[in-house]
Amino acid sequence: MIRWVTGWILSAPATTLVLVFLLLPVGATVLATLTTAEGFFASYGEFLQSGFRRTVLWRTLEIALLTTGFSLIVGFFTAYVVSRASPRWRSILIIAAVFPLLTGVVVRSFAFLILLGRNGIVNRFMVWLGVDGAPYSMLFTEGAVIVAMVYLFVPLMILTLVGVLENIPDDVIEAAASLGATPAQVFRQVIFPLAVPGLIVGAVLVFTGSFTAYATPQLVGGERVMVMGTFLHQQAMVAFDWDSAATIAAIMVAVTLAVVLVMTRMARRLNPLAS
Amino acid sequence: MAPALSLSHVSAHYGATRILDDLSLRVDGGELVSLLGASGCGKTTTLRVIAGFLPATTGTITLGGTDLTRLPAHRRNIGIVFQNYALFPHLTVRDNVAFGLKQRGMAAATRAREAAEILKIVGLADFSDRFPAALSGGQRQRVALARALVVRPPLLMFDEPLSNLDAKLRIDMRVEIRQLQQSNGTTAVFVTHDQEEAFSISDRVAIMDSGRIHQFDTPETLYQRPADSFVARFVGFVNLVSLQVSQRNGAIVTTQGPGGYRLLLDQDRLGPIPDRFMLAARPDGLRISDADIDEGIPATVGIRTYLGRTYHYQVETASGPLTATGSLSDPLGAGRHVRLIPDLDQCCILPDKEST
Amino acid sequence: MIRRLSPPLIGFAVLVYIFLMGPLIIVIGASLSDTTFLTFPPQGLSLRWFDRIFEMAAFRRTMVTSFQVAMLATCFALLVGIPAAYALNRYRIQLPGWLSTLFVLPVLVPEIVLGFSLLRSVQVGAGLPVFSALLIGHTLLVLPYCVRVISASLSSFDFSIEEAAISLGAPPWQAFFVVVLPNIRSGVIAAFILAFITSINDVSVALFLTGPGISTLPIQILAHVEQFFDPVVASVSVLLMVLTVAVMAIVERTLGLTFLTR
Repeated sequence: MIRWVTGWILSAPATTLVLVFLLLPVGATVLATLTTAEGFFASYGEFLQSGFRRTVLWRTLEIALLTTGFSLIVGFFTAYVVSRASPRWRSILIIAAVFPLLTGVVVRSFAFLILLGRNGIVNRFMVWLGVDGAPYSMLFTEGAVIVAMVYLFVPLMILTLVGVLENIPDDVIEAAASLGATPAQVFRQVIFPLAVPGLIVGAVLVFTGSFTAYATPQLVGGERVMVMGTFLHQQAMVAFDWDSAATIAAIMVAVTLAVVLVMTRMARRLNPLAS
Repeated sequence: MAPALSLSHVSAHYGATRILDDLSLRVDGGELVSLLGASGCGKTTTLRVIAGFLPATTGTITLGGTDLTRLPAHRRNIGIVFQNYALFPHLTVRDNVAFGLKQRGMAAATRAREAAEILKIVGLADFSDRFPAALSGGQRQRVALARALVVRPPLLMFDEPLSNLDAKLRIDMRVEIRQLQQSNGTTAVFVTHDQEEAFSISDRVAIMDSGRIHQFDTPETLYQRPADSFVARFVGFVNLVSLQVSQRNGAIVTTQGPGGYRLLLDQDRLGPIPDRFMLAARPDGLRISDADIDEGIPATVGIRTYLGRTYHYQVETASGPLTATGSLSDPLGAGRHVRLIPDLDQCCILPDKEST
Repeated sequence: MIRRLSPPLIGFAVLVYIFLMGPLIIVIGASLSDTTFLTFPPQGLSLRWFDRIFEMAAFRRTMVTSFQVAMLATCFALLVGIPAAYALNRYRIQLPGWLSTLFVLPVLVPEIVLGFSLLRSVQVGAGLPVFSALLIGHTLLVLPYCVRVISASLSSFDFSIEEAAISLGAPPWQAFFVVVLPNIRSGVIAAFILAFITSINDVSVALFLTGPGISTLPIQILAHVEQFFDPVVASVSVLLMVLTVAVMAIVERTLGLTFLTR
């Protein structure tokens, strides 16, 4: 009895904070979109009827999916190398992944402005090589946003997967090899299945992160590559259309929650260690 | 005289699960009582309820006439030695030992003196400035013991204190614990799953299962006269045979087993025998004989194991599989038909399963 | 150096790390440029853009604000997060499972949505001052880190140590401060640092919760980049990277960096 109450009392301040300043405001934002003057769910109909808004939504989904896909591939193979490196190299490589992660989004996105600008290092290199048509305008394209976002999320993917891959014991791999599996087969049939739960966690983090990103698309994509995040900001702070902004926010919440729920369920199903 | 500990009709729950079921126990002043049982039997829960870490849902706990039941844990004044020692990793050995003295408002100088004294008793005088991480398992154990003893608690409790030590150290430490407990005359409760440990150290042992005490007695009685089949199995009576009395002739009782075999038992050696009962025997209590006799339990030999001084045989009988002993001079092969003769000094009588 | 790895795989990893470190090195290079426009490699070495940061009132002001918000938000989050993490670990059986989910909720809700919602409900709706709203937003933003990191160090804490202190006569609250807190110190430091760095770097929440005279450094950087293309932002970025390096050094000292892969 006493213990039961103590637990609640100790967690009460944090619980109150989250309920009052997170659930309530976000709930209010989402609820506001359900019933507008035009009727139930009208704001969503309006949203999907607008060709421009539909384009923004599909573009954001496309960018988020591609970012997730590239990050998975790049992150998985890199994390595998990191997890099987000698202890000294492993800590060096982990530090080299943590450093960008802890460096802010703004700084890292800004780096791509210098990199991809018309006078940027990539264009200068291509001019020097004599590539046809160089210098290109690479900034403010979908491609630039995707590259910058992959850059943004690969460290997160590496760190998520290194933890998982490190936990695959060496003797499991040796056992597979002793049973006649080639290195490629070991990779495909032992390491990959065991890494699936980690890949799903990483994919969820990257997808939700890139679907709701603001700073990178704003700096690297600008108004030309409007995504949900920059569109929300533009509607709320430039157009002052809060109903529209709330609808965008609600769609973001819905997509995020749906992805998290579906993927965690899938992770449980695909987890080779679960019964 | 150290105070007696008494639990009467104590129950305890984790959430909705009942862990202790109407448990009563009395530990006399200066006595060392062990709670013995497999993991999950409720022995550690009993200790936690006495310590005040888990509230008793019903019942009362008293120590020397003081009602502890509603007293918060930090005011119960019970010395506890924890399974993994639970030393404070951030404090030196001296500060670990002095912790309880500080809580009791003792002056720094007195604290240091008392701590030094008890550390000398447990043989760790030279280690006072070390941190727990720099000690071996046995040394940590001694610090834990010193920390619990230094406050001179009226009751000492041990929660599997030796389970993390290697076999030799375990035996040394249990002798040491027993000596310290007896020289201080402290009342003590000792929780363990190790039968040998419990029997060697205790005045009395409570054998527990499913939150209940099956039998609470001296080690000698438990070992020779278990009260029920659970305790019997626990102390090594692996063979339990249901029998029925067919004829009484003074002290000699003729009994009959399944399939009609006859067995003659002596009440002078086994105590009174009811009409329906179970004969419990250790492997040494069933001798194998291949002589052509019509007494004893008919059996077929299965697997033979060599044990140095004797052979053990897994045998099949009408009463189910049993384990019996045979002499080294005469090894028997599998499939032989033999008789099992009970050695009455290695047997005991239990109430029949159906009547308990 | 590397066991059982094929050369193509190693080569791939090397390229990835060049991809990861390259842009940051370019930013460092650009910050040293003597020119008035951003370029790499730098033309003429100079530290004058670092001086410029402190000459510009907007950068100075937002740096102070960012530091204040990060400090206060982190302290608030620890103040409510430590008891919550303790309760979640110590009273695991007694508390419902959704409670621990509640504290990771701020991670599940997109930051930009949190920022916008706080603008609607708290700043405009309840009329709270800009700074307070910003502080609330950042406290929520960093709370999950605090709860999670401290939970991690509490999950390896042996609570029988706390019980030992209680059995020796320490009241529970005292046992917490004398025995539990000293033993999760490294977790608290790590939580503090992660929370602080998350707050300092935040864009999405602060985006909506800044107002006249009150802005944070990342928002100021964004605003500056959209108008000018001079190396001052590169210099600010380098300062932030120095902060990151300092933070990593502290984490390495207290916990070891592998802590972050768990």
